[in-house]
Amino acid sequence: MKSNLIKIIVSLVAVLFCFGCSAKNQMYYWGDYSDSLYHAKKNPCVESLAEHKEVLENIVEESKNRNQRIPPGVCAELGYLYAANNNTKKALELFQMEKQAYPESTILIDRLIMQTEKRASDDESSSETSVEKSIRQEKSIGEGTNE
Amino acid sequence: MSNLIKKKLILSILLSFAVIVVGCAPKATTKGEEFPFMYEETPLTILILPPMNESTAADAKQYYATTVQEVLSYWGYYVFPYEVTSDILKMEGIYDAELIRNVPLAKFREYFGADAVLFTTIKKWDLSYMVLASNLTVSIDEELKSTKTDQTLWSYNGTVVVDLSGGNTGGGLGGLIAKAIIAAASSAMVDYVPYARQANYRALSSFPFGKYHPNFMTDQSMQFIDQTPEKENN
Repeated sequence: MKSNLIKIIVSLVAVLFCFGCSAKNQMYYWGDYSDSLYHAKKNPCVESLAEHKEVLENIVEESKNRNQRIPPGVCAELGYLYAANNNTKKALELFQMEKQAYPESTILIDRLIMQTEKRASDDESSSETSVEKSIRQEKSIGEGTNE
Repeated sequence: MSNLIKKKLILSILLSFAVIVVGCAPKATTKGEEFPFMYEETPLTILILPPMNESTAADAKQYYATTVQEVLSYWGYYVFPYEVTSDILKMEGIYDAELIRNVPLAKFREYFGADAVLFTTIKKWDLSYMVLASNLTVSIDEELKSTKTDQTLWSYNGTVVVDLSGGNTGGGLGGLIAKAIIAAASSAMVDYVPYARQANYRALSSFPFGKYHPNFMTDQSMQFIDQTPEKENN
């Protein structure tokens, strides 16, 4: 009698406990996202940012391996990092991936694409006029004197 | 015969136990009853806005912001990349949580394509160390607002207590001592990301599921405990 009651109470507690911890499901693969992002925000440096970027790459890769939808926002965030590093091609590729998986992201993604393309064309013209041009001029002057 | 009495006795004990629990716990309610607009509007895209931090912990905002996107995505919504959107807001000159409150909600729809925006105020983010356990106590106010109608779709005002000493309690005195050591060690490590994530999970427990969740539009009758404190009548 007494043991029966104990059993019931124990099982009730066990059931409640299970409810408490079963909130997580495996809809997406997020890897170490929150951890690496927190550390990148807490100590912003080249290493911590690179680490977070690697985690994002890993999420994309692993989601593909598992045949799962890439979690919302991941391709956009990774593309944003590529755009900041002036890798326009890779950035635009990732933005398109986000838009394809989540058409509802179109307004934001189109804005990001526009920004990235604008920055890329600005950079191209400015770098051509300043650094590259001066190098070329120096070269031609040097060549001229040699001859 | 005696078996029947036994069963009746157990049943009545259980029933009275249940009554006691119901009696002292806050009232249970259903998602459908509490948040009807959520099922009317069925937002798909959610923009998480930078939280307002009223707690004494300077880190609280960062802990909250770096864990909420991942957690909310499991509810089946398109959650905008927080890192990107908060950066854009910053560039637009609205990085301050106070300033954000003054932006007309329709702007977020126009600019990002957000169906709804999530406002958060962190009221309390306290770590308490006790002899046999340590806890993280998080009090937050959260509100999901429609960018179409400006109405509140979902809200949460409550306190979540996360046990930092880990689930494995073992048995007897040895177990308790082990637990105390784990608690001390985990408070020294200062890595609360998993606990911040847990706090987010708990706070969102009454959040209706979205389009990408298998239980989309079938969770109206799901019960939860309403933690919102009763309004005081002055």
